[in-house]
Amino acid sequence: MITFLPLAGAVLLIFIPGERKEWSRLIALLVSLITFGLSLILLVNFDASQAEPQLVEKATWLGYGINYHVGVDGLSLLLVLLTTFLFPIAILSGWRYIDQRVKEYHLFLLFLETGILGVFVALNLFLFYVFWEVMLIPMYFLIGLWGGPRRIYATIKFVLFTMLGSLLMLVAIFVLYSFYYRATGVYSFEFSDLTKMVLLPKVQTWLFLAFALAFAIKVPMFPFHTWLPDAHVEAPTAGSVILAAVLLKMGVYGFLRLAMPLFPQALAKFTPWLMVLSLIGIIYGGLMALIQKDVKSLVAYSSVSHMGLIMLALFSLNPEAIQGSIIQMVNHGLSTGALFLIVGILYERAHTRLIKDYGGVSRQMPVLAAFFLVCMLSSLGLPGLNGFVGEILCLFGVFQVNKIMAYFAVSTVILAAGYLLWMYQRVMHGPIVHDYVRSFRDLNKREIIYLAPVVLMMFWIGIYPNFFLRKMDTSVNLFLKKIQERQKYFVLQSPPQPPVTVITESAGIDDDLILNKQSNEMLISRE
Amino acid sequence: MNQLASLAPLLLVLLASLIILLLEAFGRWTQRSWHATIAVAALIGSIFLALNWWEKSATYFSGAYMMDKVAIIFMVLFSLAGILVILLSFPYMVDHGFNRGEFFSLLLLAITGLMIMASSEDLVVIFLGLETLSVASYVLAGMKKQDEKSSEAAIKYFLLGSLASAFIILGLAFFSAQNQSLNLRQLTSLATDKLESPLFLAGLCLLLVGFGFKVSLVPFHMWTPDVYQGAPTPITAFFSVGPKAAGFLVLFRLFYSIMKMEADVSSIQTIIWILSVLTMVVGNLIALRQRNVKRLLAYSSIAHAGYLTIALLSRDGQGLTFYLLAYLFMNVGAFAVLVALSAKGQEFHELEDFNGLGERRPWLAAAMSVFLLSLAGFPPTAGFLAKFYVFSTAVKQGFTSLIIIAVLASLVSVYYYLRVIVHMYMIKEAPALPAIKAEPPLLLIVIFFCLYGVFQLGLFPARLISLIRQALTTSLP
Repeated sequence: MITFLPLAGAVLLIFIPGERKEWSRLIALLVSLITFGLSLILLVNFDASQAEPQLVEKATWLGYGINYHVGVDGLSLLLVLLTTFLFPIAILSGWRYIDQRVKEYHLFLLFLETGILGVFVALNLFLFYVFWEVMLIPMYFLIGLWGGPRRIYATIKFVLFTMLGSLLMLVAIFVLYSFYYRATGVYSFEFSDLTKMVLLPKVQTWLFLAFALAFAIKVPMFPFHTWLPDAHVEAPTAGSVILAAVLLKMGVYGFLRLAMPLFPQALAKFTPWLMVLSLIGIIYGGLMALIQKDVKSLVAYSSVSHMGLIMLALFSLNPEAIQGSIIQMVNHGLSTGALFLIVGILYERAHTRLIKDYGGVSRQMPVLAAFFLVCMLSSLGLPGLNGFVGEILCLFGVFQVNKIMAYFAVSTVILAAGYLLWMYQRVMHGPIVHDYVRSFRDLNKREIIYLAPVVLMMFWIGIYPNFFLRKMDTSVNLFLKKIQERQKYFVLQSPPQPPVTVITESAGIDDDLILNKQSNEMLISRE
Repeated sequence: MNQLASLAPLLLVLLASLIILLLEAFGRWTQRSWHATIAVAALIGSIFLALNWWEKSATYFSGAYMMDKVAIIFMVLFSLAGILVILLSFPYMVDHGFNRGEFFSLLLLAITGLMIMASSEDLVVIFLGLETLSVASYVLAGMKKQDEKSSEAAIKYFLLGSLASAFIILGLAFFSAQNQSLNLRQLTSLATDKLESPLFLAGLCLLLVGFGFKVSLVPFHMWTPDVYQGAPTPITAFFSVGPKAAGFLVLFRLFYSIMKMEADVSSIQTIIWILSVLTMVVGNLIALRQRNVKRLLAYSSIAHAGYLTIALLSRDGQGLTFYLLAYLFMNVGAFAVLVALSAKGQEFHELEDFNGLGERRPWLAAAMSVFLLSLAGFPPTAGFLAKFYVFSTAVKQGFTSLIIIAVLASLVSVYYYLRVIVHMYMIKEAPALPAIKAEPPLLLIVIFFCLYGVFQLGLFPARLISLIRQALTTSLP
């Protein structure tokens, strides 16, 4: 219901005449606000003591295991809330700046919201994949139509990178689907069914790599991050905000929801590598951020660094770290989203993103300076603000697993302090070098209205994080328990069926199947 | 009596074709709207007559003609394609000054050929259908007599098409040397030693070449871009849908019965595997370099033939049929937009002509985007589900490496489909084009109908799929 409300809004927008810009803005804002309201109801009805997905809606869609099946659990609840919370803000941020094709702009934003929410609530792998892909189309148009000068390059790069990962994931999904069918004789795409199956390590390795590639590109993890700075720099403000705050989380969520529980053995095998990659991401992102001349790409690289920490914590596989990484996803969404909003506000005034074109802005814009300061401190993890809670949990978690990694990971905080404070200093303080800075007006009411809730949330999470953390306790524990249980297994857990006839000639899968059959038979003989 | 009644859908189309021809010869009308009306009415009638046979499928004339559920589905597909193409061509013909009645007559004749191909299991009858289709097609490709490219297309199509027919005839000759009957069902019961004989295999390969030409598999695809570009745009739309569907159905029937046999068919499988990879890779890579959208769609249709070949290999009749239906809507839709872009005898199909289309004609550009995204295989469109079904069945059968190549090839295709969208929306400088009047309502109907089809098949295809499954289980045991 929540998922499709934005889409309904988008359909409504189609019929609004294009000249009525105000109408499209208002409708989009209203729809996104109602969606947020509904997600608050979701929060109220959410029962934190239950680990399984709740508020489930299920209907048969295409048959053969393809169902419409959605619901939220502790892992996805906060991300859904984050999404619905940020969309009205993103819409407000483009209220004046977007002046061309206003209708289409809001249409794509709402369309995007449906796609993202769908990814977070889907409990059926097919549905998940559909939303995962659907989401690309509006983002493609948002960057390509309202972006900066190199927008075409950036948007095509974004789409092709993401598609590469997700198409290989699609093949892996097919393989998974057919394995499940061979093992049980039933077609299913349900997460709950598929995660019951334990595949042979060799198969897991390949499937895990395919899934991990798709998600790692989205996160983005270190060697796959090159699309991110381009997309961020060229996207319009709302695009950057959504991209950084929500879209990147889809990758992490994918690991959490699919790649890790589906392939526990492969996960165990690749964890060290993935952790090293995350660590490289942390340090590399931080160092790159230090040398950026462009505010937006600085924030973009800071995302790479922060996401590295989130991934590192995720792979540590203990309750603190996982909770930390989920809450840190929300935090990163808030603080990086807010930073992009602020950069957008500055850009609307000066039409430049280069750091050297600013300087002394705080004299003209004291209110902005205050907001900027809070967001920045939140991003670098000052105690009392949200970033601290997440980072400390993440680091605790990592520390339990690998001390040396944790030492290195702490550098994220130091580096963040370095590049953010230095940037803040160059942009906001110092003498006014450029005359046009004197003509800057401070924040207007609309800008305050959309920045204030974000800052409020930063304080709330910073001061009383338990409200959010307790929502996910049971789900996180169940998640870990399942993975640990399943890491001990080595055979198909699902009831074995007589060996399947194999009509095949291609290499690879063939041998796996034979092994698979053997393990099936082993199980039978043991019984 | 029943035998004749079962022929009714086919005969109706043929009859309409002849009536139109007579009208053209003896009638006094300068307006050809009557011809078009008769043609559309005949096709609609044929759809109903065919659907009427859904519950009582039967085989007549000792297997030479059969009205099974698969044949009915394909007859409906061809009639639909015919109706859409006629609606497209009527405004186009008036615009381009080749307003002639025999156009409709030939189109109906081609559709008759397609229907014969779809409703027979006898290879000789199938060949007759193919020739009926081909001869009509050669003329249709050259309909724009004043246009050099159109004439070139006709000649090229004719020469290469005849060569392909010769291959098929030779293949049939090889077959009949092994067996008295050329009925596909009876081929299945051949003894193993005969099936593995070189003569039989050679015959099979010759048939593969001949039909591979019709559905434009690489390396038998050379005619496709030139004919597609030269032929009148609505006819191109027809070529890309009709003959392709019929050709794949015949190939499917052929290989379905062969792979059911006891014999070792791995060499045939390998050949199809290689053809499929070649078709996908070459089609997509060459499409990358195209500046002309019509030509680009020609190469894209080659690439799609590659994906369809995968369904042949995994004996996936459901995926094949669904893919062909989805392809009907998205491709005819894309060509309908191309038709809408032409004005007074000129056509504007270079990529540059699409610049700023999103500003100039937002609805048309939006429709084109949907069709292109569907061709590229984005959900929630028909193109995604079509690929999904074909690929997932293939993986289930163990062709994982082939599917990895297929998805990488379709990744390449995303780039060139998106490039058209880039030109429509993201490049500002508009080309110097004559002001275009509003689209004729017939065109809008076609585009709207195709949009509906793309979304209907993409979102709620469950009923259609159950029909297709029902058809396949009864017709191809």
